[in-house]
Amino acid sequence: MLSKTDVFPRRSLRLHSTVAALTFVSAFASTAMAEGFNPTAVINIGSLYEPQNLDNTAGAGQGINEAFNGNVYEGLFVLTDSGDVEPKLIDGYDISEDRLTYTFTLKEGVSFHSGDPLTAADVKSSIERVTAENSASSRKRTLAVIESVETPDDKTVVIRLNTPSISLPYNLSYVWIVNDDAGDISARADGTGPYTLQEWRRGSALAMVPFEGYWGDAPSNGGVMFQYFTDATAQNNALLTGAVDIITSVQSPDALSLFADNPDFTVSEGASTTKELLAYNDRIAPFDSVKVRSALARAVDNKKLLSAIWGDYGTLIGSFVPPTDPWFVDLTDVNAYDPDSAKEMLAEAGYPDGFSFTLDTPDYDPHPVVAQFLQNELAKVGVEVKINIITANEWYTKVYKAQDFEATLQEHVNHRDIVFYGNPNFYWGYDNPEVVKLIADSEGVSSIDAQTEMLTKANKIIAEDAASMWLYLYPQIVVSTSNVSDYPLNGLNAQFFVSNIKKAD
Amino acid sequence: MLAYMIRRLVILLLSLFLAAIVLFVLLRLLPGDPANALVGVGATPEQIAAAQAQLGSDQPLAAQFVKYLRDIVQLDLGNSFVSRASVLDEISRRLSVTLPLTLASFVLALLIAVPFGILAAVKSDRWYGLLLSVVSQVGIAVPVFWLGILLVYEFSLNLRWLPSGGFPLRGYADPARAVQSMILPVLTISIVMSASLMRYVRAATLEVLGSDFLRTARALGESHTGALMRHGIRNGAVPVISVLGIELSTAFLGAVVVEQVFSLPGMGSMLLLGIQQRDYPSIQGVLIVSTLLVLMTGFLADLLQRVLDPRLRQGGKQ
Amino acid sequence: MSTASTAFPRRSKRINITFWLGLVLVGGISLAGILSLFWTPYALSDMAGGRLEAPNASHWAGTDRLGRDMFTQLMIGARIALIVGCGAVGIGAAIGVTTGLLAAFATRFLDDALAAFMDILIAFPTLLVAMLVVAAREESSLGTAILALGIGVSPIIARITRILTKQVLGQDYIIAARVSGTSWGAIVFWHILPNIVPFLAVNLALQFGLAVMAEASLSYLGLGAPPPNASWGHMLHEAQGTVYTAPWGAILPGLALFALVIGINLLADGLRDRFDPSRRDM
Repeated sequence: MLSKTDVFPRRSLRLHSTVAALTFVSAFASTAMAEGFNPTAVINIGSLYEPQNLDNTAGAGQGINEAFNGNVYEGLFVLTDSGDVEPKLIDGYDISEDRLTYTFTLKEGVSFHSGDPLTAADVKSSIERVTAENSASSRKRTLAVIESVETPDDKTVVIRLNTPSISLPYNLSYVWIVNDDAGDISARADGTGPYTLQEWRRGSALAMVPFEGYWGDAPSNGGVMFQYFTDATAQNNALLTGAVDIITSVQSPDALSLFADNPDFTVSEGASTTKELLAYNDRIAPFDSVKVRSALARAVDNKKLLSAIWGDYGTLIGSFVPPTDPWFVDLTDVNAYDPDSAKEMLAEAGYPDGFSFTLDTPDYDPHPVVAQFLQNELAKVGVEVKINIITANEWYTKVYKAQDFEATLQEHVNHRDIVFYGNPNFYWGYDNPEVVKLIADSEGVSSIDAQTEMLTKANKIIAEDAASMWLYLYPQIVVSTSNVSDYPLNGLNAQFFVSNIKKAD
Repeated sequence: MLAYMIRRLVILLLSLFLAAIVLFVLLRLLPGDPANALVGVGATPEQIAAAQAQLGSDQPLAAQFVKYLRDIVQLDLGNSFVSRASVLDEISRRLSVTLPLTLASFVLALLIAVPFGILAAVKSDRWYGLLLSVVSQVGIAVPVFWLGILLVYEFSLNLRWLPSGGFPLRGYADPARAVQSMILPVLTISIVMSASLMRYVRAATLEVLGSDFLRTARALGESHTGALMRHGIRNGAVPVISVLGIELSTAFLGAVVVEQVFSLPGMGSMLLLGIQQRDYPSIQGVLIVSTLLVLMTGFLADLLQRVLDPRLRQGGKQ
Repeated sequence: MSTASTAFPRRSKRINITFWLGLVLVGGISLAGILSLFWTPYALSDMAGGRLEAPNASHWAGTDRLGRDMFTQLMIGARIALIVGCGAVGIGAAIGVTTGLLAAFATRFLDDALAAFMDILIAFPTLLVAMLVVAAREESSLGTAILALGIGVSPIIARITRILTKQVLGQDYIIAARVSGTSWGAIVFWHILPNIVPFLAVNLALQFGLAVMAEASLSYLGLGAPPPNASWGHMLHEAQGTVYTAPWGAILPGLALFALVIGINLLADGLRDRFDPSRRDM
């Protein structure tokens, strides 16, 4: 579900949901600047998420989605910034009665950067790159429903499935269509997107220039350069000094005060899907007890935590589901802050004197500070927290893969990822048969309403079970210099489409 | 001299061998089989075994060590687990940042430290001589990252003279920007380094000032300055050169931190990233190359010292 | 070279200023560190303050993001700096002095080998050694960092011990003692150690400063002791993101670090002047 290197560069987990995406929030920063822009201006984008390599099936990490999805490579479908799944490299498709056979007709006149025309064989090999034995793609498991890919002619692709999958188009939006002659693409690229890769200097920057032979609308800028930083302060400095035009996500409210009241900069808030949570290992005592988990949830003042980390930004949601998911309901009242009842519940659960556990804490902001907050809060109800700082890599091997942990902190970035609670083998090991069934069944239904109803029900059960401790929802903030406009705001699933970005002189 | 060179060369080669052993041991101290880092999630035992075979981590230690030595001698540092690119290529790209950074800082530090160190010694009874000593004391105690942040704040954010960090995509093909982006990092390292160098220069000069040959030279009618120039610098340089090797490795250490502050794509940031990602080939490669460079520097410093120091040259034995 | 017994310092004014200034800085920080064991203005876990308060009457050094008192953290940081410095220098001296003495007494071949080995270890920058050792442990802890730094400074101490011992060994009275049948053990204990300790002490003080600085760098790079160990380097790391909106958070721990390191250097200089006026300013 998640490739190992998904964890590294973004340093956060974007665990992909398998649910078909619907309308999200339409949010493109559009200002009055739209005319009078310079079509040859190069846009400099500051980012903290440098890719490891350039191949999204070789553990390149999230940075590669940010830089390449929709910019250098395109899929049969695209997940737009507003959350719609739309056809991209296809003119249309048919679904059989039994919902097991999809027939796609490819767009005419599409060619790769190398000049080769797009054919059905390219699509087949691209899908197989993702599902291959040695692929480290995060899509690999969700595409396991594909039984075969056939190419009756150059412009037709037929995909046959084992079981119906309402999310197939969504999942295909992550399959880059790569020229089947391209070979190893870990250091170069050959896609159909509006930009070609110009140069990548590891540890520094990645540059792309518009592709002359692009089939669609030409980009409204003269190229983009992603500049990579290892810390947020350096990135903010670069924006302040004009070395970059946009930073893709702001990580602290303190940096914002530098930009917010400054006419030289535009601060825009998009719809966020990033949730900070404490995940217990629900398999082991004492966290296998709903009572203990509920007690701990009541012992922590989330509101104070949110304002410590994010000042006036961010939202409390009381569950794993952000307001932009159709199955959102405000569950902040479930196990709300109430230290007295927390103590009572601990006593009822058989821990009148509390207990002690180790909290595996990723070494980057905000986790260590959140861990200290929780340590102090839980100490008040007699629960001792031992903080164990680990790298993102160790998190992946120890917590995610070996599931050898008591509790951990993590941010989960994707929208519609409630489905993880339907997988008892997921790292947190939450296993409620009712939820498992609801989530599994919701994938097989044919109507969106039925899906929403089932997942809303699952959401409530999970919250009442206090399956994890959901701390807060991050704000999603993009800052740019004020002469730059039309950039994506939601940064959904780490994508950052650049071809509409305009820069005035 | 030739005998000395051969002897020193043998020591260098032995040192390199010893360093290789130390590194081998240190890297094996890191927990976990590197093969686990190479394969992805849900790897089957067969895949892990294949990765071990590929890395040779299923071999006995002795065999691993032989292979490790052979690879080093052939300058084969392997491929990164993470980027899959050649570690040697990556290092040479990053050396093009770190070497100029270290060397420029070093040269600038010398340019600051030598004249001011001599001045501080010659005029140790004047207020500015004292002031220089105080400044060098202060410089030694300033945390290098703290100084870096301070310089960024003043010269990038306030004055807007220089970039706050980063390195141009095209490197030195974009010379103006490459040089600009190096100025603050170089200043940061060299300020801290010149403070400690200045102490050595000052001490060495004081020693020369009190020495017999300078008195003799003056007695023979040479001017004070002339005698100092003719004999003093050469004699004073000897003890200073002997610490240069260590200072250069200090500069490299400073580079690790400074590259982080200024987001420079150098060896230090490569090492830090390698450690965070448990990318063994990268960690090993960076340490091998940097140790090699430092040992070579020590070798050259010793030879230079030998050439300059009349006593050592004639005596033949330290 | 002069020995401790023969070296009476010229008690010039400057020596006093250097020495006393160093003593005041180091002593003050040490007192704060020791006091933190018994009393701090607030408990470290007390999050009652506001977010990022500037220094004021109730929080003398302001507060951090969680509303914790920064002065409390600075005091605890002083304690940690002392532990790091003493621990690292202790370990470094244990390894270094033993190795250095061994090398000085050893046969020519072993001496050369050990000397070369020390040179190699010196060539490994301390910080990198520490980074590796800290990374080598599953769970990072203050102990790991101290051990790493101790190992890191040991070759320098070994080299200095070796040189100093060799100088003493060349003295006539050692040869005389040896001729009169004194054992090597007694020579080390009665003649060598008393003669090299003053100079060694000066160097150990400098290594103390280096170790504290290196720990701060490690913590700054995110490889230090885990929270809630409020080391100064860790505080600087934490303050990075708020350096422009709450600069005191970065300035104060930086100043504390600076004061300790300069204090210990001044103290070392003052000591050196006391022991050996002829080697002033080395």
